[in-house]
Amino acid sequence: MTKTDPEVRIPDPIELDRLEEDRLRAVAGLTPLHAGSGEYAGFDQVGIPDRPPQTEREREVYSLDEGEMLINMGPQHPSTHGVMRLVVKVRGEIVVDIDPVLGYLHRGIEKLCENATYTTVLTYVDPMDYLSTMHNEHAPAIAFEKLYGIRPPRRAEYIRALVVELNRVFSHGLMMGFLALDMGGLTPILYAFINRDEIVDMLSAISGQRMLFNFFRVGGVNFDTNDEFLSRLGTWRSHVLTNIEMNEHMITDNEIFRSRTIGMGTLSGADAISLGVTGPNLRASGVPFDIRKAHPYSIYNELEFDVITQQGGDSYARYLQRIAEIKQSIHLIDQIIDKMPHGPVQAQVPGIIRPRPGRAYAAVESPRGLYSVYSISDGGPTPYRFRMRDPSFISLQAMPKLMPGRLVADTMAIMASLDPVMGGVDK
Amino acid sequence: MRLLTERLGADLRDLWTDEDTVEFAIDGDRNVEVLTLLRDDEELAFFMLADEAAVDYGVDAHFEVVYHLFSWKHPAWLRVRARVDRSDPRIPTVTHLWEGATFHEREMYDMMGIVFTGNRDLRRIYMSPDYRSFPQRRDFVLPDDAADSPAHGVNPLERPETWDLSRFRDAPAVTFPPSSERDDAPAESVTGGETLADKSRPR
Repeated sequence: MTKTDPEVRIPDPIELDRLEEDRLRAVAGLTPLHAGSGEYAGFDQVGIPDRPPQTEREREVYSLDEGEMLINMGPQHPSTHGVMRLVVKVRGEIVVDIDPVLGYLHRGIEKLCENATYTTVLTYVDPMDYLSTMHNEHAPAIAFEKLYGIRPPRRAEYIRALVVELNRVFSHGLMMGFLALDMGGLTPILYAFINRDEIVDMLSAISGQRMLFNFFRVGGVNFDTNDEFLSRLGTWRSHVLTNIEMNEHMITDNEIFRSRTIGMGTLSGADAISLGVTGPNLRASGVPFDIRKAHPYSIYNELEFDVITQQGGDSYARYLQRIAEIKQSIHLIDQIIDKMPHGPVQAQVPGIIRPRPGRAYAAVESPRGLYSVYSISDGGPTPYRFRMRDPSFISLQAMPKLMPGRLVADTMAIMASLDPVMGGVDK
Repeated sequence: MRLLTERLGADLRDLWTDEDTVEFAIDGDRNVEVLTLLRDDEELAFFMLADEAAVDYGVDAHFEVVYHLFSWKHPAWLRVRARVDRSDPRIPTVTHLWEGATFHEREMYDMMGIVFTGNRDLRRIYMSPDYRSFPQRRDFVLPDDAADSPAHGVNPLERPETWDLSRFRDAPAVTFPPSSERDDAPAESVTGGETLADKSRPR
């Protein structure tokens, strides 16, 4: 495979024709034909009943210039990381514009949570972002504790931090595997799942569940550590760094991987802040924003770590950022185990919690970015309003910025580097 | 807080704070001016829009659009609550300040029916384009009655105090007839050497 220079835009013959035609018309004193205002093509193109456009943006996406066409990707495309449809406007093989269509997995979790007791809410948020279940439970638990005015015991805080960091390790590991999978590399995802299963077995030993852990409680956690968990943790810790090194050797210096990620989907720090992109994607653009440091929750102000950033802002930087964060999480896990105190793991809390009327906001650093919960209590047994901000939902807005000018085959690679999870996007 | 009072003056209402949040309320039509000031002022510098959410305070009350902001210079989240009238739910958009507000505002339009004037892409995001209700409003009733039951979403059948056991108490005792009178009696009890299987078979 020849190495392509990512900065050079591949010349498009149709575009060259149009430029030449406009130049000739300008010479002849005529107005240019192709001023970028194409004719509205409508929805027949993508297989749904035709209707007039509702917004400016919709008119823009669904209007076609000469040589352009609309194609559907999804909702069942295997690379879309879930059920999502992308309407892609292409000219030949080059993406001109992209419109994500969401809602195929919408379950109305916010509404469900407003009709459930505070304890039950912690089970409803589990299937949202199904790769970072522990983080999903962490933010509501903090918010409800703020509303109710209790603090969990210190040992519970340490166990929370421990399971949350373990969750981050396997979530980032899977992202590396999926990124390689979307470029045709089948092997890394198998190794990623082997590493994930080790952690998932460990977490199921402590929580009793394998995927949707349901481990956090208001005022603590469900179980204390047990022998099986600790022995699995020790075994995993003894060889995890070797496994990560092996993954790195497999992917990081791979010629195909490098040529399809370096320079692809470059996002500047200012753009990322404006678009609301957070987490590893933002740090890969050089902005040192990490909630664990910027706004410490739980016990993170007692741990020693630095915020890691990359300067590239492209897919490759986002990948390197994930690897660095896995190593950082393992470093944090070592510290947590060293410092873990003895004591109870659950504060005294009644079965049905009725907090005083009030408002609480809690944000945690999930593997995909800033995951926050805004909860309002009216004194009853259920939250009056329960709002979740999911990081991958907001990160998807970056796609129409990153993909134009790239090949259709690269859209999936760029999307995988943003690491969205559709369960969280559609709530 | 002193800085906020100096800069915002008359716009600032209901200033309130807890352990890690500073909160105040503004009028809905002043949101762009206030948020621009909060973002661009050098001492405030709330550069990041962490969250934008809508709250419905009931049929005879109002909506609220809530902005959560973050700044390096202040150790607290800043919560700005902008009031929106329920009879005319309009509020200016902030997508020109933070482009990422687009999806937040689309979601609020979809779920609460709040119209953000100036938003270039205000269409439904989760529900289909021909959907006509706003599912997260308080007056939207879920199709199953569990939602407005006294148990608040807990299935009444799962609560023992709601179980009506009287029909079991008054019911006659259930007895089984002797096996010889039953249709499904074992084949040996049928007289004449014929089995039930033989009877059901067409001749």
